[in-house]
Amino acid sequence: MGKRITIDPITRIEGHLRIEVEVEGGKVVNAWSSGTLFRGIEVILQGRDPRDAHHFVQRSCGVCTYVHALASVRAVDDAVGIKMPVNARLIRNLLHGAQYQHDHIVHFYHLHALDWVDIVSALKADPAKTAALADNTSNAPWGGRQYFKNVQVRLQTFVDSGQLGPFANAYWGHSAYKLPPEANLMAAAHYIEALRIQAKAARLHAIFGGKNPHPQSLVVGGVTSVADLVPDRIAEFLYITKETHDFVKNVYIPDLLAVASFYKEWGGIGGCTNFLTYGDFPASEQEPESFYMPRGVIRKRDLANIEMADQQKVTEDVTRAWYLKSAPKHPFEGETRPIPENPKFSPEKGKYSWAKAPRYDGLPCEVGPLARVLVAYGKGHADIKPLVDGALKQLDIPASALFSTLGRTAARGLETVAIGEVMQGWVTELVENLKSGDTKTYQPYEMPQTAQGVGLNDVPRGALGHWIRIENGKIGNYQYVVPSTWNLGPRDGGGNLSPVEEALIGTPVADPQKPLEVLRTVHSFDPCLACAIHVIDPHSNEVYKIRVV
Amino acid sequence: MGNPLVTILGVGNFLFADEGFGIRVIEKLQADYRFPEEVLVVDGGVLGINLLGVVSQPDHLIVVDALRNRGNAGDLYRLAGDDIPRRVLAKNSLHQVDLLEALTLCQALDKVPETVILGVEPEDIETLKLEMTPVVQRQVAPMAARVLKELDRLGVPYSRRSCT
Repeated sequence: MGKRITIDPITRIEGHLRIEVEVEGGKVVNAWSSGTLFRGIEVILQGRDPRDAHHFVQRSCGVCTYVHALASVRAVDDAVGIKMPVNARLIRNLLHGAQYQHDHIVHFYHLHALDWVDIVSALKADPAKTAALADNTSNAPWGGRQYFKNVQVRLQTFVDSGQLGPFANAYWGHSAYKLPPEANLMAAAHYIEALRIQAKAARLHAIFGGKNPHPQSLVVGGVTSVADLVPDRIAEFLYITKETHDFVKNVYIPDLLAVASFYKEWGGIGGCTNFLTYGDFPASEQEPESFYMPRGVIRKRDLANIEMADQQKVTEDVTRAWYLKSAPKHPFEGETRPIPENPKFSPEKGKYSWAKAPRYDGLPCEVGPLARVLVAYGKGHADIKPLVDGALKQLDIPASALFSTLGRTAARGLETVAIGEVMQGWVTELVENLKSGDTKTYQPYEMPQTAQGVGLNDVPRGALGHWIRIENGKIGNYQYVVPSTWNLGPRDGGGNLSPVEEALIGTPVADPQKPLEVLRTVHSFDPCLACAIHVIDPHSNEVYKIRVV
Repeated sequence: MGNPLVTILGVGNFLFADEGFGIRVIEKLQADYRFPEEVLVVDGGVLGINLLGVVSQPDHLIVVDALRNRGNAGDLYRLAGDDIPRRVLAKNSLHQVDLLEALTLCQALDKVPETVILGVEPEDIETLKLEMTPVVQRQVAPMAARVLKELDRLGVPYSRRSCT
């Protein structure tokens, strides 16, 4: 029996996640992923007008407001049978693309980089040498000895103040950190620059989104942003998206490759077997054929035989989750019936998570950037394939190294380049279409009494599906299956491990007291268990008494 | 130099009863009052560190939130200055930690807004329902008035929308 390590909660993620691993001989031999969450959005939605669903579902996640709203209106669009106007398709794509630009930058720099970059070591760096390194590796617009010196002073202030904030809870000085001090300082500086660009990119949603930060412009049948389709607004959107894209090309990707070059062994750690992507970004009414990021399923890492994905093969298994026993169910039949007794964490044979276990044709599938990029790569995608080949060549690693933690983190950056590029074309297309006299953004429809619809998105974190049943013109049932349950759910009735559980096995752990290596793989999935979650124990460990005014 | 920028930020999740308090106060302020251009009234939901763009811009930040503090449901709190960073340690709601992390991150940028957090002691933040409990619901109007008092303190003008 190996040594058990429990990490609870995993920090630098958006929700609550507990990971338990068993370590033997310096390696993970078994792993369990438990989302301390509870779902049941249908409780709120049943009996409501289907047109209003997106206002509620976008609140079920702290981060992914737009993507839930989009999946929801797509589900109702599908139920109603909407022929999407060109302008609406383009604006939806642009807002969705903006979400990718924003989220992937935040993930790399603010949620994941500190697993690879040692902030404390950055304090020891020589600013002049850092400036030279930065000149060689990136095309960042900032640099020079004085710039890096200033960053160092700022970091020192953080450390001295004792209020590490985002830099707390890390394993500074851990032997698994491999970057020299100068590379650490460069990355730390870009961490701060990424905060600035993130704050800007978040504004993109306000331009066509109406209300920031909860976009209100999506409606069943299209978008409401007619008034926003003026040259000023479009120019503003283009300007910010381009500035963000420049950051991705000139800073994010060079940083990613520079960091990866010190961690090539992670091209052999943290991989999964099966992959699923619904695909996204329609270029016409032909769905999924016209998707910029194609739909597909990869079984057993076989990139030569990528199948088309069929949402009817999606089921959720609750054998190991804290719900009443039932056979795996398709989301249209989905239900949320928690066990009546207090949940007991029983990883060996029993139930151990609030997350259900989504399966495709019975298989656990990794979803997210790596799934999307592998499907596109396997299909010889005109933009993705050269990007991936270029990165592999620069790092001097084989394509098989993509099935890994390094591959997952690299795929996220590479797809941000491709999507940022194609977004600029969509802006041009939108302008041309408006010029041609087509100002339609909305397709009128009649709400059927009885219908069902599916809204499939591939969102920054992965495959997101919403399923709606309309009865008597109202919502009869509503279920969604979110990316983080695909990636971070529990085992299923057949004993199959979830993607993160599979990925963790074999991970080296130098110091069981400081399982930094485990966090690297967990964070590489960009866990977001905030979707439909609810904190079970609201009592804080520490309570400060505040004066009642 | 123009007038100071002020952001009034409601946070919380209206899917969970009293968790929606901050959002409801924002909605009331937006419905009943007009604010000058330099005042932003924002429904922040539970966006956490993604609110950095919102919290890093203003000179003054007024946050409205449900604050679990083991008082009586409906108690109103005001946190300012040194009280705030200590709250980071006392984790009592999912979104708060991220919001305060966003505030801490402002230190890495150029500007940390002078921040006041106005909170209400919730009764129920667990039940999945849109309605707040009566005792907390009753505090929406008094809390909106407190927000306006903060604006008075800052010397920022506002006006009541005429009744229609």
